[in-house]
Amino acid sequence: MFPSLLRAYSPMKMRCCFQRSICSASSSLVPVQLPSPMETHFWYVLPDQVKSVSLLNQYMGLLSPIEKENVLSMPGHQLQKRALLARALVRTTIARYQINGHVDPRSLKFKKNIHGKPEVVWQSEDGWCQPHLHFNISHSSSMIACGVTSNSRIGIDVEEKQRKIKNNVLAFARRYFSLHEMEYLSSISDSEVQHQEFIKLWTLKEAYVKALGKGFSAAPFKTFTVQVKTDSKRSFVLAEDLVFEASEIMVESLNDPKSLTSSWQFALLELAGSHYAAICMEKDKSIKVGMKVPVRLTAWKTIPFVEDECVSGTDAVMPIGGLIKL
Amino acid sequence: MASVSTSCLRFQPLLWQSNNTCQAAQRTSLKLVSVSWARSGFPSLRATRFRVSCAANPLTMQKVCDIVRKQLVLSPETQLTPETKFSELGADSLGTVEIVMGLEEEFDINVEEESSQNITTVKDAADLIDKLVQKKAEAGT
Repeated sequence: MFPSLLRAYSPMKMRCCFQRSICSASSSLVPVQLPSPMETHFWYVLPDQVKSVSLLNQYMGLLSPIEKENVLSMPGHQLQKRALLARALVRTTIARYQINGHVDPRSLKFKKNIHGKPEVVWQSEDGWCQPHLHFNISHSSSMIACGVTSNSRIGIDVEEKQRKIKNNVLAFARRYFSLHEMEYLSSISDSEVQHQEFIKLWTLKEAYVKALGKGFSAAPFKTFTVQVKTDSKRSFVLAEDLVFEASEIMVESLNDPKSLTSSWQFALLELAGSHYAAICMEKDKSIKVGMKVPVRLTAWKTIPFVEDECVSGTDAVMPIGGLIKL
Repeated sequence: MASVSTSCLRFQPLLWQSNNTCQAAQRTSLKLVSVSWARSGFPSLRATRFRVSCAANPLTMQKVCDIVRKQLVLSPETQLTPETKFSELGADSLGTVEIVMGLEEEFDINVEEESSQNITTVKDAADLIDKLVQKKAEAGT
């Protein structure tokens, strides 16, 4: 059913579908306030939970012609669906913040910065300042996620915990990770734990590079070390907010020790019991060097237009690294 | 004066007829080399850069496809052409790095991270491998 519907998608059909769906689009997307400084909003969708063909059709109606083309050029239903959900998630998520009164996800325009990082193009009208909404997406085969901040660069990465690594983990680390990280992984005797720590390190490193937004080659994985210090592992209640201090995560550049790696903050989560998610965001400029300020996190599991479930504070979101306030 | 960097060239007749050479070149799946011509020889093509084609190593291409199939666990029906993008096969960044690592092991080469960022298609990988293997042979290592 699904693939034949997509292939039969003609421009005429798209317009009709769009017109029908625009009313439900603006009424079914719950508006959200922009994140405050040092706050991240994390939205994720599980493709396996999205089965309705008419819903997928509705998402298709949100995409630009180029995005539609990209989705349809993917080989196979699963890849098409994943690509479609990724674009739908980005568009609906950003539309929720109702910047400049925009509620229509279809009207959003995107561009890539000089290094290829996707950004929103805000149609600035007279007198409006450019909003400072930053976003980043990541997808694994069974989860698509979008992180949103205000005034702060962000990078995220999600990976399945059980993701199979084809190459030997240590050989991979020797080739691509820093010496310190490779030594850390080598010191782990249990192969299952070693595998999990590898995946965690990968997501953290990937989130950092994506936050920098300068492409893989601007910060080759070998040139920086992500350190996870597990001295303190505790949670405590701070004025009604639950704060988790699982561990301190720091990044250090090997080539350029003077670079401002201390201006980045990390959070590492276990999501839905099945995924690791790493968030890297720029610390707010007002925070003094050395001050420990938690990343405030609100997470939603969503099926755009159908339901949003706030999952921060539930078992679906387990902090496992960094200083996180839920 | 033409300067070319390979010894194997095939000139497509179409290229002489139009300025829009990219289309002609892209119809083939062969490696592309840029050639620039001096003003004196060909007035109609003055200051025109256009592409000529050279055959890529089919053995390299085949090996790359085999490794990609294995790394991404592709079904036998999945079509792989030189233009196929890794992202279209469902390879994310970790998957692509794993493919590159598999290729490095197979061909006994080292791919710099800057270069690996530019590998988006099967053809990109095969071209880079050929280049690195040749460089290695020339260096005598």
